[in-house]
Amino acid sequence: MRILIAEDEPVLASQLKKTLTSEGLTVDVAIDGAEAQYLGETEPYDVIILDLGLPIRDGLTVLKNLRSGGNDTSILILTARNDWTDRVDGLDAGADDYLTKPFHMAELSARVRALIRRKAGKATPVFSRNDVTFDTRTNQVMVGGVPTNLTSQEIAVLSYLFHNSGRLVSRTELSDHIYQHDGDRDSNTIAVFVNRLRKKLGSDLIETVRGRGYVIKATA
Amino acid sequence: MTSLRARAVTGGILWAVAIIVLGLAGLSSYLSSQTQARFVEVLETRHSQAIVAVSNNSDATGDLVRAIGDLVYQVPNSGQYWQVESADGTVYASPSLGEARLPRPVDTRSEERQRRELAGPNGEAVFVIGQWVTVPDGSTWHVQVASSLRSFEQEQVVLRNTLLTAFAFVSFASVLAALMQVAVVLRPLNQLRQDVSGRWEQEDGLEVASYPIEVAPLVNDINTLMERNRDIMRRSRRQAADLAHAIKTPSAIMRNELDALMTQGADVQEARDALDRLDAQLKRSFARMRADGTDATLAVATDLDIALGRMQRAFAAIAGNEGKTFNAVYAEGLRVRMEQSDFEEVVGNLLDNAVKWAASEVRLEAGQTPEGQIMITISDDGPGIPKEELEKATQSGQRLDTSKPGTGLGLAIAHDLIHAYGGKIILSRDEALGGLAVHMRLPVVVVKRGD
Repeated sequence: MRILIAEDEPVLASQLKKTLTSEGLTVDVAIDGAEAQYLGETEPYDVIILDLGLPIRDGLTVLKNLRSGGNDTSILILTARNDWTDRVDGLDAGADDYLTKPFHMAELSARVRALIRRKAGKATPVFSRNDVTFDTRTNQVMVGGVPTNLTSQEIAVLSYLFHNSGRLVSRTELSDHIYQHDGDRDSNTIAVFVNRLRKKLGSDLIETVRGRGYVIKATA
Repeated sequence: MTSLRARAVTGGILWAVAIIVLGLAGLSSYLSSQTQARFVEVLETRHSQAIVAVSNNSDATGDLVRAIGDLVYQVPNSGQYWQVESADGTVYASPSLGEARLPRPVDTRSEERQRRELAGPNGEAVFVIGQWVTVPDGSTWHVQVASSLRSFEQEQVVLRNTLLTAFAFVSFASVLAALMQVAVVLRPLNQLRQDVSGRWEQEDGLEVASYPIEVAPLVNDINTLMERNRDIMRRSRRQAADLAHAIKTPSAIMRNELDALMTQGADVQEARDALDRLDAQLKRSFARMRADGTDATLAVATDLDIALGRMQRAFAAIAGNEGKTFNAVYAEGLRVRMEQSDFEEVVGNLLDNAVKWAASEVRLEAGQTPEGQIMITISDDGPGIPKEELEKATQSGQRLDTSKPGTGLGLAIAHDLIHAYGGKIILSRDEALGGLAVHMRLPVVVVKRGD
């Protein structure tokens, strides 16, 4: 899952990035509105965290531009202003949720997870298939009730496939959603992560559709 | 300071009085001298007639009464008299004199006409013209005619009364005209006063061109003053918002650092509590600054179609995020005398609370009471607030239940703002949904007066 953090305060941006990365999310940071809009238009993010008080182009304009360009990525707005008017402006312009500063990081990640889940049309935060369960709140994976250790990249792949369960996901799409904007992309490594996941979680969880991609079948 | 109306009216009255007094004195003295001249002229004519009669009848004095035959001389005490005296002292007089006689000036044999005023036969003042004349037969006579001053005085009185009546009418009319003139002159000022007191209806300021040129500079000044006032308010609000912005980001950073330290096992609870207090205090102070900076008299109107439409869309999204529903029902065309951002602050805080506490549903209803007041009710199907704690709920930072995140300021902020605008907020249990119902009575937009 790829997240864009558009926040001009570098310390806060790095704290957000650190927290979300530690939760298995792939995070890009934009430090001004122009960059945020460019990245939002060109990269397939799952959630954009958009501070309204951005330099160069304010967050509200970025939000309006993205929406008028047909971008329907879930957008969480951050505002330091007390005014409800700012929040209502944002929600009215098409933001999906808002958070006011100062906020608890736990609340932010809960909101981000909820937005990802809702976009995927999933009601519960816990996915399960066969005897594998994946708790999106903690990134805890259990096989037959026994916790299993996964690397952050393995979690990223599993999370994306679970959130899109029942739908075929290409390697390119997977790599688009687990690698950072400026990170090294090698879609071959996706195959490596999938193989590792199969070893740890059982071979029948993730199915390969030759030449096209992967799918976790929807739970009946 | 004396009112302009009083000054103008007093000035007008004093001016009118001065004109009337001078006019009355001048006119009455002129007319009076005219009357007097006419009176004397008439008497002189009578005197001449008497002289002619004496000249014609100096040898037959018995015929004098017939010769000076005017009827007014026949009636006793008629006020018109004649008296003729021969050189030897024989006196002939008009029947009107009766037994009385007019005294003759002593020691003068002047052939000049002499005019005198004396007491007449019945004590009334008479004006007498007398003269020694020598008739063609050589005899000399003293011929006097007299006329009572009573008729002259009566004429004077009538004249004076007529003049007084006329001038009284003129003064009354001038005072009335002065009042009307003052009213006409002061009308733009009265209009200005009304416009200024009804200025919330005129965001663009007063229309200078619609006032007389004498008042226009003042109107301009008022516009400038009002605009400056609005500017100051806007600026101080913006500054408060900027300050909040400047403080909150560092506060968020500190909070995150403390959270990170806590996950590493450090005891940072006290620091976190202190930060919570700091944040709550800031939020509270900014809300107070906002409420204090609200000038209810300078408020503008907020169109509820627009404001509630925005809130409806925003909160439908927020409620939807939590799997709850939000419905807003409101009459069209409602307007309240609040700034839109303040109105949204109030409704935003209340709806935020309602969504947070609702089990599944939040409702907003807005309408106008028969008395013309705007009532807005926000209700939810949450746990509500126990009756005995309803009062406490609107007080600053009272968190009745700490199980949900928040500063407990939402209700208090809404309460303060509504009060600053002269509105009222009442909490109760919602009969239909069972949760909390917040009723707000909001200030109505006053219809512009004067036109």
